[in-house]
Amino acid sequence: MKHPKKRWLVPLLSVAVCAAVSLLAAWSDLTYNGGRLVYPMESYSFQRSDIPMLLALALDAFCALALLTFVLRQSILRRRREAETNRTRQLNPKLGFLGLFGFCGFLGFLPVSALSSYTPFVFFVFFGFFGFFFEGKMSNTLKDERFQENVRRARLDAYGAGIQIIFLLVVANGLIDFPPELRASVLLVVLSLTMALVLFLQEYLLYRYDRQEVGDDGCV
Amino acid sequence: MAAFSCNLKVFRQRKGLTQEQLADLVGVRRETIMRLEKAQYNPSLKLAVDISRAVEAPIEEIFLFP
Repeated sequence: MKHPKKRWLVPLLSVAVCAAVSLLAAWSDLTYNGGRLVYPMESYSFQRSDIPMLLALALDAFCALALLTFVLRQSILRRRREAETNRTRQLNPKLGFLGLFGFCGFLGFLPVSALSSYTPFVFFVFFGFFGFFFEGKMSNTLKDERFQENVRRARLDAYGAGIQIIFLLVVANGLIDFPPELRASVLLVVLSLTMALVLFLQEYLLYRYDRQEVGDDGCV
Repeated sequence: MAAFSCNLKVFRQRKGLTQEQLADLVGVRRETIMRLEKAQYNPSLKLAVDISRAVEAPIEEIFLFP
């Protein structure tokens, strides 16, 4: 079996190569093709000088498809491994720092004209990745019946919290008369934060339930 | 959770098993055995039967429900 880090080397290199090829094609288009494929256009008609950019796009599409297949395959293999060993996946708690990407969600508060979209609010979901701190701490844990019971309990509590927030949001949405733009951003912000909260709570509560109430006289 | 007391520690020590060994025998984590001994975890019927077989003692003497 390949080392987990080496397993990701080829896909990451492919992404880097695709990005480099795309940049090269964009540069070639700007230099030799008047940038007609870089700038927005009304309608497209094929020209021979478009070939480098079209090849780069085809490579990008192929790479994206291959990457998707790879990720799916790894996910299936990981689930199979977990089922065989009956242990939780091995995860580095430092992956919890991915939660910092959640702060990108604040970009959505910039004037709408600057980004012409509310989509940055979706980044708030990344706050949920702080849960990796706790999942990492529970890495390679035997999934015995107490663990499975705690998983169910943690999920139930996390989903319960999420549903309560969404219920309040729906009620508030009906009672308060917001302008449509504000309504859209409030909905997106609250839903993204709720999703992040549920993701985080599942891991945090599981860790808490699993480790709490151990007294001093617990050992042999 | 139903309140109960647990004599597992007595039976386990009588059998000369450590928590780790008993955990391996019944397929759970040592922490689970630890919680069982402190009556902080109510086991499934299967786990209770497995433990009872491992320590060679009747279930009703290991787990005492009022």
